[in-house]
Amino acid sequence: MMKRNMKKSDAALQVLIWVLLIGALFVFSVPFLYMITNSFEEFSFVLPYPPKLFPTKLQWSAYEHILSMKIFPTAVKNSIINTSITVVLAVFISSLSAYGFAKIKFPGRELLFNIYLFTLMMPGFLNIIPQFIVLRSMKMPGFANGLVGTRPGLILIYVATNVCGHTFFLRSFFRGLSRSLSESVLIDGGGHGAIFFKIMLPLSKPAIGTMAIFAFQGFWEEYFTAKVLVGANEKMITLPLLLQRLNGEHATRWEWVFAASILALIPVVILFVVSQKKMVVGGLTQGSVKG
Amino acid sequence: MKRVNRSLKEFGTALPFVLPGLLLVSVFILYPMLFTIRISLSDYKIVTGDIDFIGLLNFKNVFASGSKFWFALRNNVLYAIVTIPFIIFGGMLFAYLVNNLKHGQSLFRVGFYLPVITSWVIVALVFQYMFNNSNRGLINYLLVDVFKVMDDYVPWLLREWSGNAAIWIMGIWKNVGWAMLIFLAGLQGISKDLYEAAALDGAGIFKRFIHITMPSLRPVTYYVMVNMIIGSFNVFIQVLMLTSGNPNGRTSTLQYLLYDRAFNQYNFGEASAIGLISAVIILVVTLTLNHRMNRNADDTEETA
Repeated sequence: MMKRNMKKSDAALQVLIWVLLIGALFVFSVPFLYMITNSFEEFSFVLPYPPKLFPTKLQWSAYEHILSMKIFPTAVKNSIINTSITVVLAVFISSLSAYGFAKIKFPGRELLFNIYLFTLMMPGFLNIIPQFIVLRSMKMPGFANGLVGTRPGLILIYVATNVCGHTFFLRSFFRGLSRSLSESVLIDGGGHGAIFFKIMLPLSKPAIGTMAIFAFQGFWEEYFTAKVLVGANEKMITLPLLLQRLNGEHATRWEWVFAASILALIPVVILFVVSQKKMVVGGLTQGSVKG
Repeated sequence: MKRVNRSLKEFGTALPFVLPGLLLVSVFILYPMLFTIRISLSDYKIVTGDIDFIGLLNFKNVFASGSKFWFALRNNVLYAIVTIPFIIFGGMLFAYLVNNLKHGQSLFRVGFYLPVITSWVIVALVFQYMFNNSNRGLINYLLVDVFKVMDDYVPWLLREWSGNAAIWIMGIWKNVGWAMLIFLAGLQGISKDLYEAAALDGAGIFKRFIHITMPSLRPVTYYVMVNMIIGSFNVFIQVLMLTSGNPNGRTSTLQYLLYDRAFNQYNFGEASAIGLISAVIILVVTLTLNHRMNRNADDTEETA
């Protein structure tokens, strides 16, 4: 009897939680609903009245317009190339560093690590002006402005700004991995290289994968650095830069802006939906602040 | 001598691992930081590369009365004070509710997280539209035409407090999902026994939230808070795209001011000074919080 009552109130509770969460989710979805609905509209100079939250028609002309723009494939290509090269390089270089800090004792290790930590507390935008100057001074044949306005320049800055954070996160992860495995490799005559590639990397796949996904999202939407470093070079335009430009040039054609926004959003949403169950968010908080 | 040799050897072992990262960090992070200090003390012309030492004049100008710096700083602080409680409480509540669901957790995990993975530029575009100053903007339409809370349409993004409010609302909406995800991870660490014992004592779901969940999540809460406080000093795209700091710098923030000084007025000296000042503020805040957090963690370890 009592058990049945418990079950009943349990079910009622589940329904209550569902109702609460659905209500909250609806409020949170309003900007997305608005964006989707208006991407199906066609308005030249006036916004529709009354504002609509749900699409009344499926009119794809805005999407067709965006997809037919010459610059759109360029922006997609640049965003994909920049983001993937950056993520691979940043993750690889940072795992190497993290291994060095976690498993090899060397003079100055603590000092160096504290310097890395210190840079994490600095606002990233602080460095943009001297970074611009450093890139400009890296003279290359054929480039008037050094690496400013080039893909390698942008990627170098992207990777560098993420090394400290990634190293910090992976170091604590590597430290937690058991020592006996790596010792067995040492006994077999393998060096640190073997331990790193054969043990650490495979064992850290979930952590590294989670980090890579967060990094992907961050670079995919990165606006400020790209604007300053490659904003003047039409060929290097990225999706966030294109969106901002669409907004500036066609402030009256909201449906274009929103259609482009949705197209830019699709890859990250898919990536997150596919990976969210496997992500190890817990690691991100473990001792991250406690240094 | 032997010791030196051993040190060298250790260094040699570590070098292949640490060097690539160290090179990048030195050239693109550490050197620029030092360079920023130099620029902040000079009258720097980016085109000619002339860099004349002028002492603390840039700082003096930044701090001068009537300077937009004080409004920017005020807005960063207000942003933190207003948004962080909503982000923390909302994130914790959503995490707790989602965690108690038997079915459909994924829907809400993804749903609330969508704003986080949506680019700031996109989010800002939608908010620009929602806060449009005529009756065509959703917010004005709802407040004036539907619920009749107000008589007149508000030019949200053109006024000091309504502009700031739009920036705050956007910040809350964008970050609650992140806090939820971190709290969800933190909830996995709370022992089920605690909840069961409380349930036997007749504590309902909300009592359990207040007496078990909230205290147990204290370390995670600090983590979220520190991140959000640092984030509060990085508010930039919202301002650039929603208000451009108008009217007259009343909705500006430090990072927007830095951007404006550097890339609209080409005054890199003052921009660097602003950057350094905000860096010092962030550093002091972070170190203070970390200090308190570590003490807090020690306390919990002792009592546990």
